[in-house]
Amino acid sequence: MAGATSNAFDPEAVVDALLPLLGLAATPESRAQTIVHLKIAAEHARKLLSVPLDDSDEPAPVFKA
Amino acid sequence: MTAKLLDRSAQAIAAAVKSGAVSAREVAQAALKRIEARNGALGAFTDVTATRALAKAEAIDAARARGMNLGPLAGAPFAVKNLFDIEGLATRAGAKINRDRGPATTDATAVARLEAAGAVLVGALNMGEFAYDFTGENAHDGPSRNPHDLERMTGGSSGGSGAAVAGGLVPIALGSDTNGSIRVPSSLCGLFGLKPTYGRLTRTGVFPFVASLDHVGPLARSVADLALAYDSMLGRDDRDPAQADMPATPVSPSLKDGVAGLRIARLGGYFARSAEASALGAVDTVARALKADRVVELAGAEAARSAAYLISMVEGGALHLERLRTHGSDFDPDVRDRLIAGAMLPGAWVTRAQKFRRRFRAETLALFRDVDILLAPATPGRAPKIGQRTFVLDGHEMLVRPNLGLFTQPLSFIGLPVVAAPLWTDGEELPIGVQIIAAPWREDLMLRVARALEQAGVVRAPVATFS
Repeated sequence: MAGATSNAFDPEAVVDALLPLLGLAATPESRAQTIVHLKIAAEHARKLLSVPLDDSDEPAPVFKA
Repeated sequence: MTAKLLDRSAQAIAAAVKSGAVSAREVAQAALKRIEARNGALGAFTDVTATRALAKAEAIDAARARGMNLGPLAGAPFAVKNLFDIEGLATRAGAKINRDRGPATTDATAVARLEAAGAVLVGALNMGEFAYDFTGENAHDGPSRNPHDLERMTGGSSGGSGAAVAGGLVPIALGSDTNGSIRVPSSLCGLFGLKPTYGRLTRTGVFPFVASLDHVGPLARSVADLALAYDSMLGRDDRDPAQADMPATPVSPSLKDGVAGLRIARLGGYFARSAEASALGAVDTVARALKADRVVELAGAEAARSAAYLISMVEGGALHLERLRTHGSDFDPDVRDRLIAGAMLPGAWVTRAQKFRRRFRAETLALFRDVDILLAPATPGRAPKIGQRTFVLDGHEMLVRPNLGLFTQPLSFIGLPVVAAPLWTDGEELPIGVQIIAAPWREDLMLRVARALEQAGVVRAPVATFS
Protein backbone atom coordinates (compact mmCIF):
# COMPACT_ATOMS: atom_id res chain seq x y z
CA MET A 1 0.00 0.00 0.00
CA ALA A 2 1.69 3.20 -1.18
CA GLY A 3 2.45 5.63 1.60
CA ALA A 4 1.58 3.12 4.35
CA THR A 5 3.22 3.62 7.70
CA SER A 6 5.48 0.97 9.21
CA ASN A 7 3.70 -1.93 10.89
CA ALA A 8 6.60 -2.67 13.22
CA PHE A 9 5.35 -2.90 16.82
CA ASP A 10 6.83 -0.05 18.84
CA PRO A 11 5.69 -0.51 22.45
CA GLU A 12 7.31 2.71 23.61
CA ALA A 13 5.38 4.71 21.03
CA VAL A 14 2.14 2.93 21.98
CA VAL A 15 2.58 3.69 25.66
CA ASP A 16 3.52 7.31 25.03
CA ALA A 17 0.52 7.78 22.74
CA LEU A 18 -2.06 6.07 24.94
CA LEU A 19 -1.13 7.45 28.37
CA PRO A 20 -2.70 10.85 27.54
CA LEU A 21 -5.65 9.21 25.78
CA LEU A 22 -6.40 7.34 29.01
CA GLY A 23 -5.78 10.40 31.16
CA LEU A 24 -2.83 8.74 32.87
CA ALA A 25 0.59 9.98 33.86
CA ALA A 26 3.54 7.67 34.49
CA THR A 27 6.87 8.03 36.20
CA PRO A 28 9.87 6.81 34.17
CA GLU A 29 9.89 3.58 36.21
CA SER A 30 6.18 3.01 35.68
CA ARG A 31 6.48 3.78 31.97
CA ALA A 32 9.32 1.26 31.64
CA GLN A 33 7.35 -1.50 33.40
CA THR A 34 4.22 -0.70 31.42
CA ILE A 35 6.26 -1.24 28.26
CA VAL A 36 7.45 -4.61 29.63
CA HIS A 37 3.86 -5.68 30.27
CA LEU A 38 2.70 -4.44 26.87
CA LYS A 39 5.37 -6.59 25.23
CA ILE A 40 4.23 -9.63 27.24
CA ALA A 41 0.64 -8.94 26.21
CA ALA A 42 1.69 -8.68 22.57
CA GLU A 43 3.32 -12.10 22.80
CA HIS A 44 0.12 -13.56 24.25
CA ALA A 45 -1.86 -11.87 21.47
CA ARG A 46 0.45 -13.42 18.89
CA LYS A 47 -0.32 -16.89 20.28
CA LEU A 48 -4.04 -16.19 20.41
CA LEU A 49 -4.28 -14.65 16.96
CA SER A 50 -2.49 -17.61 15.41
CA VAL A 51 -5.57 -19.76 16.10
CA PRO A 52 -7.96 -19.54 13.14
CA LEU A 53 -11.56 -18.61 13.94
CA ASP A 54 -14.62 -18.25 11.72
CA ASP A 55 -16.52 -15.03 11.20
CA SER A 56 -19.55 -16.81 12.63
CA ASP A 57 -17.86 -17.73 15.92
CA GLU A 58 -19.76 -16.07 18.76
CA PRO A 59 -17.94 -14.49 21.71
CA ALA A 60 -18.37 -16.31 25.02
CA PRO A 61 -20.43 -13.75 26.96
CA VAL A 62 -24.02 -13.67 25.70
CA PHE A 63 -26.23 -10.69 26.46
CA LYS A 64 -29.79 -11.67 27.31
CA ALA A 65 -32.47 -9.03 26.88
CA MET B 1 -6.72 -30.01 74.60
CA THR B 2 -8.63 -27.23 72.83
CA ALA B 3 -5.43 -26.00 71.16
CA LYS B 4 -4.80 -29.50 69.78
CA LEU B 5 -8.35 -29.52 68.44
CA LEU B 6 -7.39 -26.58 66.21
CA ASP B 7 -5.01 -28.89 64.34
CA ARG B 8 -7.91 -31.13 63.46
CA SER B 9 -10.65 -30.63 60.88
CA ALA B 10 -13.64 -28.31 61.08
CA GLN B 11 -15.75 -31.44 61.07
CA ALA B 12 -13.95 -32.73 64.19
CA ILE B 13 -14.27 -29.36 65.92
CA ALA B 14 -18.01 -29.26 65.15
CA ALA B 15 -18.41 -32.79 66.51
CA ALA B 16 -16.65 -31.81 69.74
CA VAL B 17 -18.82 -28.70 70.13
CA LYS B 18 -22.02 -30.60 69.43
CA SER B 19 -21.12 -33.32 71.92
CA GLY B 20 -20.28 -30.79 74.61
CA ALA B 21 -16.68 -31.97 74.84
CA VAL B 22 -15.69 -28.37 74.31
CA SER B 23 -17.64 -25.13 74.08
CA ALA B 24 -17.67 -22.95 70.99
CA ARG B 25 -16.35 -20.11 73.16
CA GLU B 26 -13.34 -22.20 74.21
CA VAL B 27 -12.61 -23.00 70.56
CA ALA B 28 -12.90 -19.35 69.55
CA GLN B 29 -10.63 -18.27 72.41
CA ALA B 30 -8.06 -20.87 71.43
CA ALA B 31 -8.17 -19.77 67.80
CA LEU B 32 -7.75 -16.10 68.75
CA LYS B 33 -4.82 -17.01 70.99
CA ARG B 34 -3.18 -19.00 68.22
CA ILE B 35 -3.67 -16.16 65.73
CA GLU B 36 -2.01 -13.79 68.19
CA ALA B 37 0.90 -16.17 68.65
CA ARG B 38 1.55 -17.10 65.02
CA ASN B 39 0.30 -14.27 62.84
CA GLY B 40 3.38 -12.15 63.29
CA ALA B 41 5.44 -14.84 61.58
CA LEU B 42 2.87 -15.75 58.95
CA GLY B 43 1.35 -12.43 57.85
CA ALA B 44 -1.94 -14.22 57.33
CA PHE B 45 -4.48 -11.96 59.04
CA THR B 46 -5.03 -8.26 58.34
CA ASP B 47 -8.05 -7.97 60.65
CA VAL B 48 -9.09 -10.10 63.62
CA THR B 49 -12.78 -9.99 64.51
CA ALA B 50 -12.39 -11.13 68.11
CA THR B 51 -15.51 -9.48 69.57
CA ARG B 52 -17.70 -10.80 66.81
CA ALA B 53 -16.18 -14.29 67.06
CA LEU B 54 -16.77 -14.55 70.79
CA ALA B 55 -20.33 -13.28 70.45
CA LYS B 56 -21.07 -15.82 67.72
CA ALA B 57 -19.48 -18.61 69.76
CA GLU B 58 -21.53 -17.71 72.81
CA ALA B 59 -24.67 -17.75 70.68
CA ILE B 60 -23.79 -21.26 69.52
CA ASP B 61 -23.26 -22.41 73.10
CA ALA B 62 -26.59 -20.88 74.10
CA ALA B 63 -28.31 -22.59 71.18
CA ARG B 64 -26.83 -25.92 72.25
CA ALA B 65 -28.06 -25.37 75.79
CA ARG B 66 -31.54 -24.93 74.33
CA GLY B 67 -31.23 -28.16 72.34
CA MET B 68 -31.23 -26.43 68.95
CA ASN B 69 -29.67 -27.75 65.71
CA LEU B 70 -26.18 -26.20 65.53
CA GLY B 71 -25.30 -26.75 61.88
CA PRO B 72 -22.58 -28.89 60.28
CA LEU B 73 -19.75 -26.42 61.05
CA ALA B 74 -20.80 -25.59 64.61
CA GLY B 75 -18.07 -23.65 66.35
CA ALA B 76 -15.46 -24.16 63.62
CA PRO B 77 -13.36 -21.01 63.13
CA PHE B 78 -12.93 -19.64 59.62
CA ALA B 79 -11.49 -16.53 57.98
CA VAL B 80 -11.86 -14.89 54.59
CA LYS B 81 -9.60 -13.20 52.09
CA ASN B 82 -9.99 -9.48 52.66
CA LEU B 83 -11.94 -8.94 49.45
CA PHE B 84 -15.05 -10.49 51.09
CA ASP B 85 -17.27 -7.90 52.74
CA ILE B 86 -17.36 -8.14 56.52
CA GLU B 87 -19.87 -5.87 58.22
CA GLY B 88 -18.08 -3.03 59.96
CA LEU B 89 -14.75 -3.40 58.10
CA ALA B 90 -13.51 -1.64 54.97
CA THR B 91 -13.06 -4.26 52.25
CA ARG B 92 -9.36 -3.85 51.48
CA ALA B 93 -8.99 -6.22 48.52
CA GLY B 94 -5.31 -6.00 49.43
CA ALA B 95 -5.16 -2.35 48.43
CA LYS B 96 -4.10 0.76 50.31
CA ILE B 97 -6.62 2.73 48.26
CA ASN B 98 -9.59 0.72 49.50
CA ARG B 99 -8.90 1.59 53.13
CA ASP B 100 -10.63 4.90 52.49
CA ARG B 101 -13.85 3.09 51.67
CA GLY B 102 -16.42 3.09 54.38
CA PRO B 103 -17.02 -0.08 56.35
CA ALA B 104 -19.16 -2.73 54.69
CA THR B 105 -22.75 -2.52 55.86
CA THR B 106 -23.40 -6.24 55.51
CA ASP B 107 -21.48 -9.48 55.11
CA ALA B 108 -20.75 -11.11 51.77
CA THR B 109 -23.31 -13.82 51.14
CA ALA B 110 -20.65 -16.54 51.37
CA VAL B 111 -19.67 -15.32 54.85
CA ALA B 112 -23.28 -15.21 55.97
CA ARG B 113 -23.91 -18.73 54.68
CA LEU B 114 -20.88 -20.21 56.46
CA GLU B 115 -22.00 -18.57 59.68
CA ALA B 116 -25.51 -19.89 59.13
CA ALA B 117 -23.89 -23.36 59.05
CA GLY B 118 -22.42 -22.66 62.49
CA ALA B 119 -18.90 -21.55 61.53
CA VAL B 120 -17.32 -18.67 63.47
CA LEU B 121 -15.64 -15.85 61.56
CA VAL B 122 -12.37 -14.83 63.21
CA GLY B 123 -11.03 -12.32 60.70
CA ALA B 124 -9.92 -11.13 57.26
CA LEU B 125 -6.84 -12.38 55.44
CA ASN B 126 -3.93 -10.89 53.53
CA MET B 127 -3.94 -11.06 49.74
CA GLY B 128 -2.20 -9.76 46.65
CA GLU B 129 -3.41 -6.29 45.72
CA PHE B 130 -6.75 -6.36 43.91
CA ALA B 131 -6.20 -10.13 43.44
CA TYR B 132 -3.82 -9.50 40.52
CA ASP B 133 -1.10 -11.74 41.87
CA PHE B 134 0.13 -15.32 42.16
CA THR B 135 2.82 -14.73 44.84
CA GLY B 136 1.00 -13.81 48.06
CA GLU B 137 3.18 -10.73 48.43
CA ASN B 138 1.50 -7.48 49.37
CA ALA B 139 3.26 -4.14 49.05
CA HIS B 140 1.25 -2.60 51.90
CA ASP B 141 0.67 -5.38 54.44
CA GLY B 142 3.82 -7.37 53.77
CA PRO B 143 3.97 -10.89 52.37
CA SER B 144 1.97 -13.79 53.65
CA ARG B 145 4.56 -16.45 54.50
CA ASN B 146 4.47 -20.14 53.73
CA PRO B 147 4.00 -21.95 57.07
CA HIS B 148 6.17 -24.84 55.85
CA ASP B 149 9.11 -22.48 55.18
CA LEU B 150 8.72 -18.88 56.27
CA GLU B 151 11.21 -17.69 53.65
CA ARG B 152 8.99 -19.05 50.87
CA MET B 153 5.92 -17.68 49.13
CA THR B 154 2.43 -18.82 49.98
CA GLY B 155 1.34 -18.25 46.42
CA GLY B 156 -1.53 -15.92 45.71
CA SER B 157 -3.54 -14.04 45.44
CA SER B 158 -5.30 -15.84 48.33
CA GLY B 159 -1.98 -15.94 50.19
CA GLY B 160 -3.30 -15.20 53.66
CA SER B 161 -5.89 -17.94 53.17
CA GLY B 162 -3.10 -20.43 52.44
CA ALA B 163 -1.00 -19.27 55.40
CA ALA B 164 -3.93 -19.30 57.84
CA VAL B 165 -5.04 -22.86 57.05
CA ALA B 166 -1.60 -24.45 56.63
CA GLY B 167 -0.44 -22.62 59.78
CA GLY B 168 -3.26 -24.11 61.83
CA LEU B 169 -4.91 -20.77 62.59
CA VAL B 170 -8.21 -21.88 61.08
CA PRO B 171 -9.35 -25.14 59.49
CA ILE B 172 -11.19 -23.38 56.63
CA ALA B 173 -10.58 -20.13 54.76
CA LEU B 174 -12.31 -18.60 51.80
CA GLY B 175 -10.44 -17.33 48.78
CA SER B 176 -11.19 -16.16 45.29
CA ASP B 177 -9.87 -17.63 42.06
CA THR B 178 -9.86 -15.67 38.80
CA ASN B 179 -6.92 -17.37 37.12
CA GLY B 180 -5.67 -19.70 39.87
CA SER B 181 -5.71 -17.69 43.11
CA ILE B 182 -7.13 -20.55 45.20
CA ARG B 183 -5.27 -23.36 43.45
CA VAL B 184 -1.80 -21.75 43.46
CA PRO B 185 -1.64 -21.13 47.24
CA SER B 186 -3.22 -24.54 47.83
CA SER B 187 -0.35 -26.10 45.89
CA LEU B 188 2.42 -24.09 47.51
CA CYS B 189 1.03 -24.34 51.07
CA GLY B 190 -0.05 -27.98 50.81
CA LEU B 191 -3.83 -27.61 51.07
CA PHE B 192 -6.99 -28.79 49.44
CA GLY B 193 -8.50 -25.94 47.44
CA LEU B 194 -11.79 -25.90 45.57
CA LYS B 195 -12.54 -23.69 42.60
CA PRO B 196 -16.11 -24.51 41.67
CA THR B 197 -17.72 -24.21 38.25
CA TYR B 198 -18.03 -20.59 37.10
CA GLY B 199 -21.44 -19.37 38.20
CA ARG B 200 -21.87 -21.97 40.94
CA LEU B 201 -21.27 -19.99 44.16
CA THR B 202 -22.49 -16.48 44.71
CA ARG B 203 -19.96 -13.65 44.61
CA THR B 204 -22.26 -11.05 46.16
CA GLY B 205 -20.26 -8.82 48.48
CA VAL B 206 -16.90 -9.88 47.00
CA PHE B 207 -14.68 -7.18 45.51
CA PRO B 208 -14.38 -7.96 41.78
CA PHE B 209 -11.35 -8.36 39.56
CA VAL B 210 -12.35 -9.93 36.22
CA ALA B 211 -16.11 -10.33 36.29
CA SER B 212 -16.17 -12.97 33.57
CA LEU B 213 -13.57 -15.11 35.36
CA ASP B 214 -14.09 -14.50 39.10
CA HIS B 215 -14.96 -17.46 41.36
CA VAL B 216 -15.02 -17.95 45.14
CA GLY B 217 -14.24 -21.13 47.04
CA PRO B 218 -12.75 -22.71 50.16
CA LEU B 219 -9.27 -23.91 51.19
CA ALA B 220 -9.04 -26.60 53.86
CA ARG B 221 -6.88 -29.40 55.26
CA SER B 222 -9.36 -32.18 54.52
CA VAL B 223 -11.62 -33.04 51.63
CA ALA B 224 -14.60 -33.43 53.96
CA ASP B 225 -14.10 -29.86 55.22
CA LEU B 226 -13.80 -28.59 51.66
CA ALA B 227 -17.07 -30.30 50.79
CA LEU B 228 -18.83 -29.06 53.93
CA ALA B 229 -17.81 -25.47 53.26
CA TYR B 230 -18.87 -25.76 49.63
CA ASP B 231 -22.22 -27.30 50.54
CA SER B 232 -22.84 -24.55 53.08
CA MET B 233 -22.37 -21.83 50.44
CA LEU B 234 -24.64 -23.37 47.80
CA GLY B 235 -27.89 -21.71 46.89
CA ARG B 236 -29.42 -19.14 44.61
CA ASP B 237 -28.55 -15.46 45.02
CA ASP B 238 -30.14 -13.21 42.42
CA ARG B 239 -27.76 -10.39 43.31
CA ASP B 240 -24.92 -12.14 41.45
CA PRO B 241 -25.89 -11.88 37.77
CA ALA B 242 -23.31 -14.51 36.79
CA GLN B 243 -24.75 -17.16 39.07
CA ALA B 244 -26.30 -20.02 37.15
CA ASP B 245 -29.73 -21.36 37.99
CA MET B 246 -28.55 -24.77 39.10
CA PRO B 247 -29.89 -27.01 41.85
CA ALA B 248 -28.08 -26.69 45.19
CA THR B 249 -27.04 -30.32 45.40
CA PRO B 250 -24.64 -31.02 48.27
CA VAL B 251 -21.54 -33.09 47.57
CA SER B 252 -20.73 -34.35 51.07
CA PRO B 253 -23.08 -37.36 50.87
CA SER B 254 -21.33 -38.74 47.77
CA LEU B 255 -17.72 -38.33 48.97
CA LYS B 256 -17.64 -41.95 50.06
CA ASP B 257 -18.64 -43.27 46.63
CA GLY B 258 -15.05 -43.77 45.51
CA VAL B 259 -13.57 -43.77 42.03
CA ALA B 260 -14.85 -47.08 40.66
CA GLY B 261 -16.21 -46.56 37.18
CA LEU B 262 -14.74 -43.09 36.71
CA ARG B 263 -12.77 -42.54 33.50
CA ILE B 264 -9.63 -40.69 34.53
CA ALA B 265 -6.86 -39.35 32.28
CA ARG B 266 -3.92 -37.05 32.67
CA LEU B 267 -3.42 -34.01 30.48
CA GLY B 268 -0.43 -34.10 28.16
CA GLY B 269 0.93 -31.53 25.75
CA TYR B 270 0.89 -28.05 27.30
CA PHE B 271 0.36 -29.52 30.78
CA ALA B 272 3.42 -31.76 30.51
CA ARG B 273 5.83 -28.97 29.57
CA SER B 274 7.21 -25.89 31.35
CA ALA B 275 7.23 -27.62 34.72
CA GLU B 276 9.81 -28.81 37.19
CA ALA B 277 10.17 -32.54 37.74
CA SER B 278 8.38 -32.21 41.09
CA ALA B 279 5.19 -30.97 39.43
CA LEU B 280 5.12 -33.67 36.77
CA GLY B 281 6.14 -36.31 39.30
CA ALA B 282 3.18 -35.37 41.50
CA VAL B 283 0.82 -35.97 38.60
CA ASP B 284 2.55 -39.30 37.91
CA THR B 285 1.99 -40.36 41.51
CA VAL B 286 -1.69 -39.47 41.48
CA ALA B 287 -2.24 -41.08 38.08
CA ARG B 288 -0.59 -44.30 39.27
CA ALA B 289 -2.70 -44.37 42.42
CA LEU B 290 -5.83 -43.97 40.31
CA LYS B 291 -4.62 -46.47 37.67
CA ALA B 292 -5.04 -43.72 35.09
CA ASP B 293 -2.65 -44.54 32.28
CA ARG B 294 -4.44 -42.62 29.58
CA VAL B 295 -3.08 -39.26 28.37
CA VAL B 296 -5.28 -36.78 26.53
CA GLU B 297 -4.59 -33.41 24.97
CA LEU B 298 -6.53 -30.25 25.62
CA ALA B 299 -5.97 -28.69 22.23
CA GLY B 300 -5.58 -24.94 22.39
CA ALA B 301 -4.52 -24.81 26.05
CA GLU B 302 -1.65 -22.44 25.36
CA ALA B 303 -3.88 -20.06 23.42
CA ALA B 304 -6.48 -20.39 26.18
CA ARG B 305 -3.93 -19.27 28.73
CA SER B 306 -3.02 -16.32 26.52
CA ALA B 307 -6.66 -15.40 26.01
CA ALA B 308 -7.34 -15.50 29.77
CA TYR B 309 -4.22 -13.39 30.32
CA LEU B 310 -5.44 -10.72 27.89
CA ILE B 311 -9.03 -10.68 29.17
CA SER B 312 -7.71 -10.27 32.72
CA MET B 313 -5.48 -7.37 31.71
CA VAL B 314 -8.28 -5.61 29.85
CA GLU B 315 -11.05 -6.13 32.41
CA GLY B 316 -8.67 -5.31 35.26
CA GLY B 317 -7.42 -2.19 33.50
CA ALA B 318 -10.97 -1.04 32.85
CA LEU B 319 -12.08 -1.77 36.43
CA HIS B 320 -9.28 0.30 37.95
CA LEU B 321 -8.81 3.03 35.34
CA GLU B 322 -10.25 5.83 37.46
CA ARG B 323 -8.19 4.72 40.48
CA LEU B 324 -5.10 4.63 38.25
CA ARG B 325 -5.82 8.26 37.30
CA THR B 326 -6.45 9.53 40.79
CA HIS B 327 -4.41 7.24 43.07
CA GLY B 328 -1.67 5.89 40.84
CA SER B 329 1.06 6.30 43.43
CA ASP B 330 -0.95 4.36 46.02
CA PHE B 331 -0.93 1.13 44.00
CA ASP B 332 1.58 -1.67 44.36
CA PRO B 333 3.79 -0.75 41.35
CA ASP B 334 3.84 -4.37 40.14
CA VAL B 335 0.05 -4.36 39.94
CA ARG B 336 -0.35 -0.80 38.66
CA ASP B 337 1.84 -1.17 35.61
CA ARG B 338 0.13 -4.37 34.47
CA LEU B 339 -3.22 -2.63 34.84
CA ILE B 340 -2.04 0.40 32.86
CA ALA B 341 -0.81 -1.86 30.07
CA GLY B 342 -4.14 -3.69 30.22
CA ALA B 343 -6.06 -0.48 29.69
CA MET B 344 -4.08 0.03 26.48
CA LEU B 345 -4.81 -3.27 24.75
CA PRO B 346 -6.78 -3.28 21.49
CA GLY B 347 -10.45 -4.16 21.70
CA ALA B 348 -9.91 -6.52 18.76
CA TRP B 349 -7.67 -8.71 20.93
CA VAL B 350 -10.15 -9.13 23.73
CA THR B 351 -13.06 -9.76 21.38
CA ARG B 352 -10.96 -12.40 19.69
CA ALA B 353 -10.14 -13.88 23.10
CA GLN B 354 -13.84 -14.11 23.94
CA LYS B 355 -14.60 -15.77 20.59
CA PHE B 356 -11.82 -18.27 21.16
CA ARG B 357 -13.19 -18.87 24.64
CA ARG B 358 -16.43 -20.26 23.25
CA ARG B 359 -14.54 -22.41 20.74
CA PHE B 360 -12.20 -23.78 23.43
CA ARG B 361 -15.14 -24.50 25.71
CA ALA B 362 -16.89 -26.52 23.00
CA GLU B 363 -13.74 -28.53 22.24
CA THR B 364 -13.13 -29.24 25.91
CA LEU B 365 -16.71 -30.30 26.57
CA ALA B 366 -16.37 -32.74 23.68
CA LEU B 367 -13.36 -34.24 25.46
CA PHE B 368 -15.50 -34.83 28.54
CA ARG B 369 -17.73 -37.19 26.54
CA ASP B 370 -14.96 -39.79 26.89
CA VAL B 371 -13.49 -38.90 30.26
CA ASP B 372 -14.82 -37.88 33.67
CA ILE B 373 -11.70 -36.56 35.38
CA LEU B 374 -8.52 -34.90 34.10
CA LEU B 375 -5.26 -34.54 36.04
CA ALA B 376 -2.70 -31.75 35.64
CA PRO B 377 -0.02 -29.96 37.68
CA ALA B 378 -1.28 -27.09 39.83
CA THR B 379 1.91 -25.05 39.76
CA PRO B 380 5.13 -25.36 37.73
CA GLY B 381 7.08 -26.19 40.90
CA ARG B 382 7.25 -25.83 44.69
CA ALA B 383 7.11 -22.48 46.48
CA PRO B 384 9.64 -19.89 45.25
CA LYS B 385 11.46 -17.71 47.77
CA ILE B 386 9.75 -14.51 48.90
CA GLY B 387 11.01 -11.69 46.72
CA GLN B 388 12.06 -13.99 43.90
CA ARG B 389 11.24 -12.19 40.64
CA THR B 390 12.00 -14.81 38.01
CA PHE B 391 12.33 -18.56 37.53
CA VAL B 392 13.52 -20.71 34.68
CA LEU B 393 11.12 -23.12 32.99
CA ASP B 394 12.08 -25.14 29.91
CA GLY B 395 15.22 -23.04 29.64
CA HIS B 396 13.31 -19.73 29.53
CA GLU B 397 13.59 -17.15 32.29
CA MET B 398 10.08 -15.98 33.21
CA LEU B 399 8.52 -13.59 35.71
CA VAL B 400 7.25 -15.48 38.77
CA ARG B 401 4.26 -13.25 39.49
CA PRO B 402 2.28 -13.88 36.29
CA ASN B 403 3.56 -17.38 35.54
CA LEU B 404 2.91 -19.38 38.71
CA GLY B 405 -0.59 -19.81 37.30
CA LEU B 406 0.26 -21.03 33.85
CA PHE B 407 -1.40 -24.42 34.49
CA THR B 408 -4.43 -23.07 36.34
CA GLN B 409 -5.29 -20.27 33.92
CA PRO B 410 -6.50 -22.29 30.88
CA LEU B 411 -8.99 -24.21 33.07
CA SER B 412 -10.66 -21.33 34.88
CA PHE B 413 -10.79 -19.61 31.46
CA ILE B 414 -13.76 -21.85 30.65
CA GLY B 415 -15.02 -22.16 34.20
CA LEU B 416 -14.20 -25.83 34.80
CA PRO B 417 -14.44 -27.01 38.43
CA VAL B 418 -11.07 -28.01 39.91
CA VAL B 419 -9.79 -29.36 43.21
CA ALA B 420 -6.14 -28.76 44.02
CA ALA B 421 -4.83 -31.65 46.14
CA PRO B 422 -1.44 -31.59 47.94
CA LEU B 423 1.36 -34.16 47.76
CA TRP B 424 4.43 -34.60 49.92
CA THR B 425 7.38 -36.45 48.45
CA ASP B 426 9.55 -38.39 50.87
CA GLY B 427 12.28 -36.14 52.22
CA GLU B 428 10.80 -32.94 50.81
CA GLU B 429 9.91 -30.13 53.18
CA LEU B 430 7.58 -28.40 50.76
CA PRO B 431 4.38 -29.72 49.19
CA ILE B 432 3.10 -29.45 45.63
CA GLY B 433 -0.40 -29.73 44.24
CA VAL B 434 -2.19 -31.60 41.50
CA GLN B 435 -5.33 -30.31 39.79
CA ILE B 436 -8.25 -32.74 39.68
CA ILE B 437 -10.54 -31.38 36.97
CA ALA B 438 -14.13 -32.29 36.13
CA ALA B 439 -16.72 -31.23 33.57
CA PRO B 440 -18.85 -28.21 34.48
CA TRP B 441 -21.23 -28.82 37.42
CA ARG B 442 -19.52 -32.12 38.39
CA GLU B 443 -17.84 -30.96 41.59
CA ASP B 444 -19.13 -34.19 43.11
CA LEU B 445 -16.88 -36.35 40.91
CA MET B 446 -13.65 -34.47 41.52
CA LEU B 447 -14.24 -34.40 45.26
CA ARG B 448 -14.85 -38.16 45.25
CA VAL B 449 -11.47 -38.58 43.58
CA ALA B 450 -9.77 -36.24 46.06
CA ARG B 451 -11.34 -38.10 48.97
CA ALA B 452 -10.24 -41.49 47.64
CA LEU B 453 -6.67 -40.19 47.25
CA GLU B 454 -6.78 -38.76 50.77
CA GLN B 455 -7.99 -42.06 52.21
CA ALA B 456 -5.23 -43.89 50.36
CA GLY B 457 -2.66 -41.51 51.88
CA VAL B 458 -1.56 -40.21 48.48
CA VAL B 459 -2.55 -36.62 49.26
CA ARG B 460 -2.57 -34.97 52.66
CA ALA B 461 -2.54 -31.51 54.21
CA PRO B 462 -0.84 -31.46 57.62
CA VAL B 463 -0.57 -28.36 59.78
CA ALA B 464 2.93 -26.90 59.54
CA THR B 465 5.24 -27.61 62.45
CA PHE B 466 6.02 -24.59 64.61
CA SER B 467 8.92 -24.62 67.03
